[in-house]
Amino acid sequence: MSSLLVLDKVVKRFGGIVATNGLSFHVDRGESLALIGPNGAGKTTIFSLIMGEHRQNSGTIKLNGEEISHLPTHKRIQKGVARTYQVPRPFSEMDVAGNIRVGMMPDNLWKMITQSADPDAELTIARSVGFRDEDLLRKPSELSMGDLRKLELARTLAAKPEIMLLDEVFAGLTVGEIEQISDLLAQKRKEGLTYIIVSHDLRALEPLVDRAVAMTFGRAIAEGSFIEVMDDEAVRSAYLGQ
Amino acid sequence: MLQVLIQGFLLSGLYALIAVGFTLIFSVGRVLNLAYGAYLMLGGYAYFYSVQTLGMPKLPGFLFATGMGALAGVLMYRLLVKRLKGDQVAVEISTLILAVVIQAGVVLVFNDSSKILHPIVGGVWRIGSTTITNNILVAMVASWIILGGLLLFVKKTHVGRAMQAVSMDAKGARISGINTDRVNMMTWAISGALGSVAGVFFASYTQLNPSMWVAPLIIAVAVVIVGGIGSIVGTLIVAHIIGFMEIITTTFIAAELRGVFTMLLIIGVLVIRPQGLFGRGDL
Amino acid sequence: MARPLLGWAIFAVAMLLLPQFVSNGTLRIIIFANFLAIFAMSWDFISGKTGYISFGHPFLIGIGAYTSAILSYRFGMPVSLSIPLAVLATMVGGTLFFLPALRIKGTYFALVTLAFMELMYQLVQVIRPDLTGGTRGISGIKTILSGAAPNFYLSFGLMFAIGLALWLLSRTRLGTALDAISMNEEAVSGSGLNTTRLKLFAFMVSALVAGLGGAFYVHYLGSIAPRALFDINFVFTIIVSVLIGGSATIIGPIMGAFFMTFLLEYLRPLLPGSERYLVYGMIALVLYVYQPKGIMQILKNLSLRTRGPQTGRSGNV
Ligand SMILES: Nc1ncnc2c1ncn2[C@@H]1O[C@H](COP(=O)(O)OP(=O)(O)OP(=O)(O)O)[C@@H](O)[C@H]1O
Ligand SMILES: [Mg+2]
Repeated sequence: MSSLLVLDKVVKRFGGIVATNGLSFHVDRGESLALIGPNGAGKTTIFSLIMGEHRQNSGTIKLNGEEISHLPTHKRIQKGVARTYQVPRPFSEMDVAGNIRVGMMPDNLWKMITQSADPDAELTIARSVGFRDEDLLRKPSELSMGDLRKLELARTLAAKPEIMLLDEVFAGLTVGEIEQISDLLAQKRKEGLTYIIVSHDLRALEPLVDRAVAMTFGRAIAEGSFIEVMDDEAVRSAYLGQ
Repeated sequence: MLQVLIQGFLLSGLYALIAVGFTLIFSVGRVLNLAYGAYLMLGGYAYFYSVQTLGMPKLPGFLFATGMGALAGVLMYRLLVKRLKGDQVAVEISTLILAVVIQAGVVLVFNDSSKILHPIVGGVWRIGSTTITNNILVAMVASWIILGGLLLFVKKTHVGRAMQAVSMDAKGARISGINTDRVNMMTWAISGALGSVAGVFFASYTQLNPSMWVAPLIIAVAVVIVGGIGSIVGTLIVAHIIGFMEIITTTFIAAELRGVFTMLLIIGVLVIRPQGLFGRGDL
Repeated sequence: MARPLLGWAIFAVAMLLLPQFVSNGTLRIIIFANFLAIFAMSWDFISGKTGYISFGHPFLIGIGAYTSAILSYRFGMPVSLSIPLAVLATMVGGTLFFLPALRIKGTYFALVTLAFMELMYQLVQVIRPDLTGGTRGISGIKTILSGAAPNFYLSFGLMFAIGLALWLLSRTRLGTALDAISMNEEAVSGSGLNTTRLKLFAFMVSALVAGLGGAFYVHYLGSIAPRALFDINFVFTIIVSVLIGGSATIIGPIMGAFFMTFLLEYLRPLLPGSERYLVYGMIALVLYVYQPKGIMQILKNLSLRTRGPQTGRSGNV
C-alpha cells in the first residue's frame, strides 16, 4: 500500500534553532500515528510544515505521492490534510455553527455567494464531535476547554480531510472530556480516518494509535509500535532528561 | 554642497527630536499614539500662551509647555490607552479621534488663524554663504542633548532600565516584579514632555496653527517605520536619512516633491521589509 | 430575512416621501449624509469586515472624484462615460491599495494607507497641475442634476442601492468568510479558503463603492480641491460614522453617517466653526471606548433586555 503522507529529510531552522533536523517518516492510509517527544522537540513545527504555515529549509513532503511543499495552506487542505491547534483558535465572535460553517465553505467566491449554508450538515458535524443541539448558538467565550477542542475538531472535520493532524487534543481537559474525545477519535478511526496525533498524555494515546514516532531536538529517535517506542532506552532518557 | 550638509543636519536634528517621544511609546507600550502630533501642538500653544500672551519669561514658559505635555501624556494613558488594554488598532483609532478633538479644542481657545512664534533664541549665524538662524541651531543642539540624556536615562537609571525591560518583554517584566503600569505611565509622561519640547521648536521653525499636528506625526511615523520599532540610536539614524533625503530633494529636484519621497520610502519599507531597516532592537 | 427587508422597504418609502415635508436646507444636509454613508459603507467593507483598517480611504474616493472630474471638465466627456471610467480607475487604485495587505496587517497596514493618502495629496498638486488644477483644484465641473430634491433622490437612490447590495452580500457565506478574516486570518486559510482572493474581493467591492461615491459626489458639488479631500479630518469623519453606527454591519455606517451629519448640523448654531468637532469627537470617543461595536450593538442589547432572555442567546451580551 502506498503511503498517504511521506516526509523525507525535512529540515527547518528558526534563526539558530534547528526545530526539525532531517526528519523522515510516513503515514499509510487508514493508519494512526502518535508523534511524541518532550516540550520543544519540534512536534508542532512538523504540523506547521505539513500545512505550509512555515516552509522547510530542505526536504520533501508528499501527500498521495504528490509533492505539496510549494502549495499555500488552503491548497493543501483542498488536497486532503487539515490540522487542529494546540491552542484552540476559534472565530471569536461567531457561534459554534458559524465556526463550522467557515470550515465547510467551498473555496469558490461564486458558490459562497449563491449557495446558502447548510444548517443540517453543520448540525451533523457538531453532533459527531459530541456537541448538543443547543451548543450551536454558543460563542467561543462561553465554551469550556473541552468544548473548544471539540470545536477545533469539528472545524477541521468540516474540511473533509483524508488525514488529520491533531495537536495536543487532550491538554487542559478534565478526565471526562478526555474520555469523550478519545471515544470520538476511536470512532473516526474505525470509520477509516487517518491521523497523526501529538499528546503528552501517553496513557490516553496508547489505545488510539497503530504506531508511534518519538522525537527530540527535531530528530526521530525511535519508531515502531507504541509499546516498543515506550520501552526504548533513548526515549526513556529523553523524557526523564527534560 | 556645504549648504546641503548644514541644512541636512539641522532638519534631521529637528526630526529626531520630533520622533523620539513617539518611538519611546512604540517601543515600551507597543502601540502607536496617533495623538502624538497633538503634544507638539499643545507644547507650541502652551509656550505661545505663556510667553507671548501672558508675557512670562522664556524659561518658565518652556517648562510650562513641557509640563502640559507630560500631563497630557499621563491623561491619555490613564483615561484611554489603559482602558483599551493593549488592543493596538483600538488605540490607534481612538488616539486619532483624540487628535482631532484636541485640534478642535485648540480652535475653540485660540481660533483658526495661524500664529507666529518668536524665535526662542534670536539672531543668525553665517557659514560661508549660508545663513542659519540660531533658533534652529539651538533646536539641533537641544535635540542631541535630549537624545543623549534620554539614552543615559534609559541605560543608567532604575526607571530607565525598567522601561527597557518592559520594552523587551512586558510579561516577563511583570513576572519579575516590575510595575508595568507605572512604567507605562512614566513613559507616556516622558513622551508627552518630549513631544511638547519638540513642538516648541517645531512651531518656532514653522508656525502655530490647529492642523500643525499632522506633519510631525507623519515624520514620527516615518522614522519609526523606516527604522523599525524604537531604538533611540535608530531614531537618530533614520531621522538623518529622512532629513537629508528631503533636503537633497528640495535642493536638486523640486521642493514640492520632498514629501513624496518620504511617503514612497514609508510604503516601500513597509511592504518590502515590514520589520524596518534595523529590525527590532531594544530602546 | 423578511423582517429586515421590510425595514429596508420602510426606510426607502419614508425617505422618498421626505422632500414633501422638509425644507431644501434639510435636504441638502441629507444629501451630504447619503454620500457620507456611501463612503462609510465602502470603508466598512474593507476595514469593518476584514479588519484591515484603512486610514487612507480618501485615496480611493479621490481617484474616483478626480478621474471623473478631469475626464468631464478637461476632455468634455459625458458623465455617463466618465463615471464608469472613474469607477474602473478606482478599482485599479484599489488593487494598489491591496498589495500591502498581502504582507502586512494591523498597524502597519493602516499606516501604509495613510501614506498612500498623503502621497496622493502631494502628487495631485505637482504632477500635471494643468489637469488636476494643482493646489486650487477644479471648479465648474458639470453637475448631473440641479435643485435639492432631484439631487436628494439621486444620492439617496445610489446610497440605498449600494447599501442593500452590500447588506445582501454580507449575509451570504462570503460575508461570513470576510468576518472570519477579521477574527483570525490564519484559521480562515486553515479552513481551506484562499484568503488572498477573499481580501482582494473585499477591496474591489470597497473600491467600486468608493469610486461611485467619489464620482457622483464631485458631480454634485461641481468642484474639487485636494486639501479638503485628502484630509485626515475626512478620514476621521468616515471612521467615526462607522464606529458610531457599528462596524461590519453595513446598516450601522448608514445610521452613523446620518447621526453624525445631523449632530454636526445641530451644533452649528452653538459652535459655528470647526470647534464642532470637539463635541462630535468627544461623543465618538466616549461611545467607542464604552461600546466599540456602536449603536447597532447598543440597540441589540436594549432589545434583548426588553424582550427578555427567552429570545436572547445568552443573558450576558
Ligand atoms: N515561529 C518560531 N520562531 C522561532 N522558533 C520557533 C518557532 N516555532 C517553534 N520554534 C522553536 O522550535 C522548537 C520546536 O518547537 P515546537 O513548538 O515545534 O515544539 P513542540 O514539540 O510542539 O513542543 P510542545 O510540546 O511544547 O508543544 C522550539 O525550540 C521552539 O522554541
Ligand atoms: Mg507543540
